[in-house]
Amino acid sequence: MSLGDIPIQLEVGGLTGSAPAVLREIAYLLERLTRYGEAGSIDLHGLPLSPADRRWLLDQLGRGEIEIALEIGGGSRIVETAYPGVWWVAHDNEQGVRTSEFIEVTLIPDLVPAHPDDVESGLKNLKSRISDLS
Amino acid sequence: MNEKSGSLIDSLERQGVSRRTFMKYCATLASLMALPPAVGRAFAEALAKATRPSVIWLSFQECTGCTESLTRSHTPTLESLIFDSISLDYHHTLQAAAGTAAEAAREAAMKLNWGKYLLVVDGSVPMKDGGVYSTIAGVSNHDMLMDTVKGAAAVVAVGTCAAFGGLPKAQPNPTGAVAISDLVKDKPVVNVSGCPPIPVVMTGVLAHFLAFGSLPELDKLGRPLAFYGETIHDRCYRRPFYDQGKFAKTFDDEGARQGWCLFELGCKGPVTYNSCATVKWNDGTSFPIESGHGCLGCSEPDFWDAGGFYRALSLPANPLHVAATAVEVGAVVGVGVALANRAGKSAAKAGHETATLADLEK
Ligand code: SF4
Repeated sequence: MSLGDIPIQLEVGGLTGSAPAVLREIAYLLERLTRYGEAGSIDLHGLPLSPADRRWLLDQLGRGEIEIALEIGGGSRIVETAYPGVWWVAHDNEQGVRTSEFIEVTLIPDLVPAHPDDVESGLKNLKSRISDLS
Repeated sequence: MNEKSGSLIDSLERQGVSRRTFMKYCATLASLMALPPAVGRAFAEALAKATRPSVIWLSFQECTGCTESLTRSHTPTLESLIFDSISLDYHHTLQAAAGTAAEAAREAAMKLNWGKYLLVVDGSVPMKDGGVYSTIAGVSNHDMLMDTVKGAAAVVAVGTCAAFGGLPKAQPNPTGAVAISDLVKDKPVVNVSGCPPIPVVMTGVLAHFLAFGSLPELDKLGRPLAFYGETIHDRCYRRPFYDQGKFAKTFDDEGARQGWCLFELGCKGPVTYNSCATVKWNDGTSFPIESGHGCLGCSEPDFWDAGGFYRALSLPANPLHVAATAVEVGAVVGVGVALANRAGKSAAKAGHETATLADLEK
C-alpha cells in the first residue's frame, strides 16, 4: 500500500454562514473606494471559511474581464470579479501550495503597477543597450 | 556574510529577487502574522527600505537542527536568503572562518553594530561544573553569551533548547542546562520554540523588528503571539473526528486509515501552541499529523519529560465538549494501556507480530 492509497476523509460541513459577512464587508470597502478613493483588502487566510464557503463566495463574486498571471517566487493570480474594483488575489509558493489569498478592493491591485525605482533602473538599462548599438 | 550595505530590497535584488516577489512574500508574511492588510502594506514598504540587519548567531548545546531548519531548503527561499546570505555576520557552523579568525569576526561585528545587532542563540547553556560541558574557542557558553549580549538590541532564543532548555535539560539534566531567558535579564528575549522551529517565525520576528523597530507581541512564555496564539488542536484538520469521538487506536487500524484523530496515540496537539497546522513544513507540504503521527509537543517547555510520546494526555482539551469520550479515554490510558503494554510486548516478541503503540512505550 502506498501513501497515496490511504484516504484522509474530511467530514467538514457545508456553509458555515461566514461567507455572506464577507460580501457585506466587500460592499462596505467598495463604498469607501467610491466615496473617498480609499483602497482596502480582506485577508481570506485569517477567516474561518470552509471550502464550501469559499466556493459560494467565488460564485457570488463571478468573473470580470481581467485575469493577470504572475510568476514571482511561485505563481500568483489576480482575477477581476464581476464587480469592478473587486479583485481576487491568490499566491502560491514554488511548490504550487497556496500561501495566501486576499480580496482587494482597489482600482489597480498593488502588485500590478511598476515601482518608480524599478522604472528608473529599467530606463538606465535601456539607455546602456542603446549606447551599445552605436 | 555577503552584501554589507544598502537596503534590504537592494540586497535582495542583487540576489535576483524582484520587488514584486518581495511584495508577495511580505503580503504572505503579514497574513501569517495576522497583521491587518493595510498594516501589511506599510510593513512591506518599511521592510523594503530597512537597512540590512546585523545578526550574530551563537550555537551552544544543540544538534544544529535549528540552523538546518532555518537556512536550508532545496531551492533558496526568501527566508534563507534574508538570513543566510544577507543578515548573518557570525555563525560558527555556517561561516568559512574558524578559530581565532572566527572569534575576531564576532568581535568586529559586535563593535560595528553595537547596540543594534540581533543576537540569535540556539542551544541551552550548561551551568554545571563551571560550564565545562560546552565551550567555543576555550570560552564557556555562559561567558560567550554574557559577553555578546552586552551590545545586542534584543535576543532571539531559537529552538526549544535555547527557549526552555530542551533536550539537554531533560531529566536528569547532566550538564545543568538552562534556557537563555534564565540568564539574560536586561534585554528583551523572544522565544522561537520548536524542535526545530518553523522557519517563517524567525523571519517574522526579524521582519517585525526591522519594519516597526520593535519586537512582535509575545505570549506569557515569550513566544510571538501571532504564531503561538493557538494550539495545534485548535487548527487541526482532524479536529472534526476528535469532536465526534472517532479515535485511531493503533497506527495501522481502520481508524488510522480513515484519518481519525490521533489523541489516543499520544497526540499532544491539545496542549501545544504552534503554527504547524496552518503554516506547515517543507514549503507548505504537510505537518506531522498529516503524515499520521501525533504532535510531540516540541514547542512546549519540558516536552521530553512529558510522560511518553505515545501516551495519551490524561484529559482531553475540552472535557465539557467531549465528556463522554473522556471516560473512555481515561479507561484506555489508565489500566488498559498498562496491561496492553506488557501483554502486547511479549505477544509481539513471541509471535513477531506488528507491535502496537503500547509496545513502543516500555
Ligand atoms: S488530538 Fe491531535 S490529531 Fe486529534 S484533533 Fe487534536 S491535534 Fe488533531
